[in-house]
Formats: sequence, structure tokens, C-alpha cells
Amino acid sequence: MDTRSYPRTLFPGSLIVLSAVFLHAIIAMPVFPADKPGDAVRIGVLAPLSGPYAAGGTSFVQAATLAAEQANSEGGVLGRRVEVVAADTQGRVDVAKSEALRLVSREKVSALVGAYLSEETVGVMEVAASHRKVLIVPVAATAEITDRVRDEPARYRYVFRVGYSIPQWAELVVAFLSDRSVRRYAFVGAGIRWNRELGDALGRTAARAGISPAYVSYYSPGNPAFDPVAVAAAGSAPDIVVLGDPGRNSVSFLKRLREVAPGLPVFSIGGALGDARLAASLPLSGPLFVQAAAWSGASAAATEYAVRYERRYGAPPVGYSDTLPYDAVGVLAAAWRKAGSLDAAGAIAALEMGAFQGVAGTYRFDADHQARWGTGPGDLRGTVVRWERDGARIVFPPR
Amino acid sequence: MSPLPQVLLDGLVAGGAYALMAAGMSLILGVVKVVNLSHGAFFTLGAYVAYAMADRGIGGPVAVPLAAAIAFAFGVFLGKSFINPARSHPFALPVGTLACALLFEQAAQLAWGPHPLAVDGGAPWPGPFGVVVRRWGAVAFLASAAILGALRILLVCRPGLPLKLVAEDEEIASSVGIDVEAVRYLTFGGACAMAAAAGALLAPAGAITPTMGRGPLVLSLIVVIVAGMDSVGATFLLSIALGVLGNACAYYLSPQWSYVALLCSVALLLSARPTGIVAVPGRRD
Repeated sequence: MDTRSYPRTLFPGSLIVLSAVFLHAIIAMPVFPADKPGDAVRIGVLAPLSGPYAAGGTSFVQAATLAAEQANSEGGVLGRRVEVVAADTQGRVDVAKSEALRLVSREKVSALVGAYLSEETVGVMEVAASHRKVLIVPVAATAEITDRVRDEPARYRYVFRVGYSIPQWAELVVAFLSDRSVRRYAFVGAGIRWNRELGDALGRTAARAGISPAYVSYYSPGNPAFDPVAVAAAGSAPDIVVLGDPGRNSVSFLKRLREVAPGLPVFSIGGALGDARLAASLPLSGPLFVQAAAWSGASAAATEYAVRYERRYGAPPVGYSDTLPYDAVGVLAAAWRKAGSLDAAGAIAALEMGAFQGVAGTYRFDADHQARWGTGPGDLRGTVVRWERDGARIVFPPR
Repeated sequence: MSPLPQVLLDGLVAGGAYALMAAGMSLILGVVKVVNLSHGAFFTLGAYVAYAMADRGIGGPVAVPLAAAIAFAFGVFLGKSFINPARSHPFALPVGTLACALLFEQAAQLAWGPHPLAVDGGAPWPGPFGVVVRRWGAVAFLASAAILGALRILLVCRPGLPLKLVAEDEEIASSVGIDVEAVRYLTFGGACAMAAAAGALLAPAGAITPTMGRGPLVLSLIVVIVAGMDSVGATFLLSIALGVLGNACAYYLSPQWSYVALLCSVALLLSARPTGIVAVPGRRD
């Protein structure tokens, strides 16, 4: 005989508490503007709002929402309100594609902004191309995006990127390393596509400037093994460690590195360490530089944006995963105004020909629909800050 | 100077962390006989408690027991209200505990936001031969050894007898007057407290995010599968071995090979001893 006794129903108290938790979750969920189609101009924003990249994705959607509010305060687009319809990609290609399809076919958005990871964005490009919707790419950096536009312009002419591409990123990083008289660097990051492409591009671009890699390593996101990577990176005696990780692992690696090499300079290019809430508890025994698209104090527009962002969301922007989506929505709204219609062909013509003022500077697109970032005249240059105990100080470009 | 001592020491610390998580998981598997996929969520809970305390200027000596107490209360509640009633449905528990973990991740994201948070770990101690001893690492390793030692003593002494009896045969345990359900939910709570203590101890090691418990959950499952559920000592030693192996592979081969080497070792060990490296013969089913 089975002497075990199992209650037939769940403990009633647990059901009450679970219901309360669910209700609280629903009530406390971040609220973005109303999503019903109507007179408003709807922009579909794709970013990971859950999972390992939720931090960057949340800033992404917050900044896009702020840009829509800013556009509305300036009279909207063609006399209509701008609405952001956010979709959670979960950092997964399949989800990003299905959400893009939902935004286009069911939510009837006029254009798309996103996604976050390179892998996701390449998937979303297909949806934008097949449904003939303008797609503005803010942060995904893979060279494949511009390669596709170049190789198949008729199919992918809807795709524009406001963020920097991998070759441009490498050029910006090398410009900073040269300014710091770096001769040997160590490059460390997660073994994801973006880091590997950037590590390779950085090696090629740095070689032309006489800078060589002392150590290059990509750790597994599943089991990052920070300790031996930090020991090996410090042991290679570089002038600086370039840290490419875009997520929380950058914090863990920085801590480990500072424990074995307290004074070694670190240049974080993944964006995560630009968070002021985090910087207060980071070890600053050595210089910590952070690359950003723009930073408060770099220009009047950047300062105004930072103040507005902090007032709206209670924390300063990180300067990358928020600033570029903000500019993406601003550029899109300006292109529609310039074209005088929401028609994709009109917007594409306006984007190809025009110059658009944003937080990071003036955006102009080249023949491959890539915003011009770099060190040439008229290029967007980005900003590098150094964290200090009392906040961040802009150190590059030199003024 | 050779980096080998540093790599080995870091491996010891990493192994100690795996052991603390794995011991709790092993207890739940052995006594409650449940694959608890919410174990990582309790690790995360412990880290957030440590952060909340550090934010108020309160250090680890208070944060770790507090985290364990909160997790114990949650664990007992979960064990009593969900685990015990649902045990008769074989697929309900893994799915249910996974749902609890996801619910906790969402709740943590709502409470603290998705952005990484950090706890200051203090400056490391300089050791001999150029080795750096991480303050949090040393504390976590010693605490891990102490907690596992206490668990080992409990299991061989009279107060641990109900645990062993329930693990061995619930019918016999029940027939001698042991409240099997109470043992199950109290064990579940105790194991959750161990996971939370691990989270609080290791909070200064990295970034605190809602999803930070996923990695330790997988590693603890690996340790439990290989070590079996019968020996605390084997769990501890295997955790140390895996920590050292992972670190050595990451340093001498490549960081990405470290995980592959870990999983290959596990596969080889399991193919040689499918019941785990420590199997007790003659257990009744």
C-alpha cells in the first residue's frame, strides 16, 4: 500500500500569492505608448526586453520612446503623432524575425528600428526587404548589413544604419589607441559574432597604424572562465586591454583583471560600462575608458539629451545602446518630414540625399546606406570618456 | 613568474562555488527527488540581498545569513505549496520549477531593473610567489568547505537520520513515524538557503543581473550528475577538480575550450560510470 499522502490540490495560500505576483508583474510592466492603429505614425522598435541582453534592450526602447516624445513636442510628423510599438526579440534571431513580421503585418507600422544583436538584425533585414519597409539599424555592427545593401541594392535599399559598422568601429578604436601612444593591446570579449568580427578588423586596422595585438581571446558566454583570461591578458604585458563585451560579463572581467593587474588601463567598447549606476562600484585603480556614440558635454545636443533622458528615466544614458536608437528615430522622423510623406520611396530618397542632426552629430549616409563614422572630415567621431571617482570626463576626441 | 599557481588557486575558488550550489541541488535530488530548475533563481536572490545590504553599508557577515534565511522561507513555502502536492506528476515539477525561475527573473527585473549591478569586493591580498588571493574568493571557498562539512556531519549523525531514511525509502520512513512531507519541504528550504548563501558569497565576483543564476544552475547539475547524490565529499572534490580543469584548459588551450573540456570530461566519466562516480550498491527502489 502506498503510505505517501499527496494533497489533491495546491495549497490555497500559494495560489493567492502567485496571483498577486502575476498581477503585480502585469501592473508594473514598463508601459510604452498606446498601440492601436489610427492617425498616429507608428514605428516598430525591436530590442531584447528579456534575457541576457535585457539591459541594453530596455535602454534602447526607452531612448526610442523619448525620441518619439521629442518628435511629438516638435509637432509630430506631417501633423500626426509618432508612436513607438515595442517588440521583445529576447536576443533570438527567430523571435526577432517573427516579431518584425507581426509589427509590419498586424501592427501596421510605417518603419522599423532595430534590432540589437547583429544576428537578429540580419534576420529583420529580410522582413523589411520583403515588406518594403524602411529599417533603421542603430547598434548592430556586422559588416554583412552594408555588404548586403551593396551587393543587392534593389532588395535591401530599405535598410540604413545610423550606428558604426565593424570597419568604422575599428578605425575609431585605433584612433583612440594612437592618441594614447599604445603600441601593444590585448583584445578580450565574448565569443559572439560581433566581438570576433571586431577583433579581426581591429587587428588589420591597428597593424596599419603600427599597433600590434599582444593577446586576443574570446570567452564562452556559457562559462566565461574570466580568471585565466584575466591572468593571461595581464601576463601578455599590453599597454591597454580593449574589452569588447557588450553585456554584464564585462563587469566580471574588469573586476578579475583589476585584481591581478590593478593599474592596467582598460578601454571598454561594448557600451555596458558606460552605466553610471555601475561605475560607482567598479574598481578604478587603473584608468577605465569607455567608448560612446555621444556623451553629456560633447555638444549642446548631447548634453540636452542626457538631461532629458535622466529626468525621464532616473539614470543618465550609457551613451551607446540608448543614444543611437534615439538618433535612429529622430533621423527617421526628419526623413519623413523632408520627404513630405510616409512613403518608403520618399523616405529612402530623403535619407540618401540629406543630412540629419542628431545627438552624436550630423548623419550623412554613403552609397551603402551606412552613416559616416570615422576620422575623415565631416565624419561622426564618437566620444571616449574616462571614469573617475566623481564621474566621467571626456578624453577623446581631443579638443 | 609562472602563472600556474594563480590559475590553480582560481580553479580552487571556482570549484568551491560550484560545490556549494551542487550540494543543495544534490540534497533536493536525493531527498525530495525533484530536478529543481529554480535553484539558480535562489542563487540570484542571494546576490540581490547582498547588493541591497551593501547599498546600505551592511557587509557579508549579515548579508549571507539573511539571504539564506529569506531563501529558506521561500523554499519552505514553495516546497509545501507546490513541490509536495505536485510530486506525483513526473513532468509537472521540472516545468513548474522552471516557471518559478522565470517568474523570479521577471520579478527581479521589475524590482531592480535589467541593468547589471555590482558589489565592491575589496582589494585582493598579495600572496606568495606573486599570487593574488581574492578576498571574496577565499571567504567563499572557506564558507563552502564549512557548510559542506556541516552537511556531511549532519548526514552521519542522529539528527540527519530522517533525511537519510526519506532518501532511502519513504515508506519505511513513514512507517517509523517520520513526517515525510515535513522532511521534504524543510530539505527543499535548506537547499534553497545554500544556493542563496552561494549567491551572496559570490556577489562581489561579478555583475548581478536577473539571469545570473542560469550558469551556476547548469554547472551544479553537471556536478550532481557526475558525483551522484550520495556523497557530500565526492561532490566537493569533483567540483574542485572541474574548477581547476576548466581554468587550466582556459589558460593553456583557449577560454572557449574550457567549457568543451568540462562537458567532455563529464561525458567520459558518465560513460565509464553511468550511476555517477560514487554509487551506493543495493539501494531499494
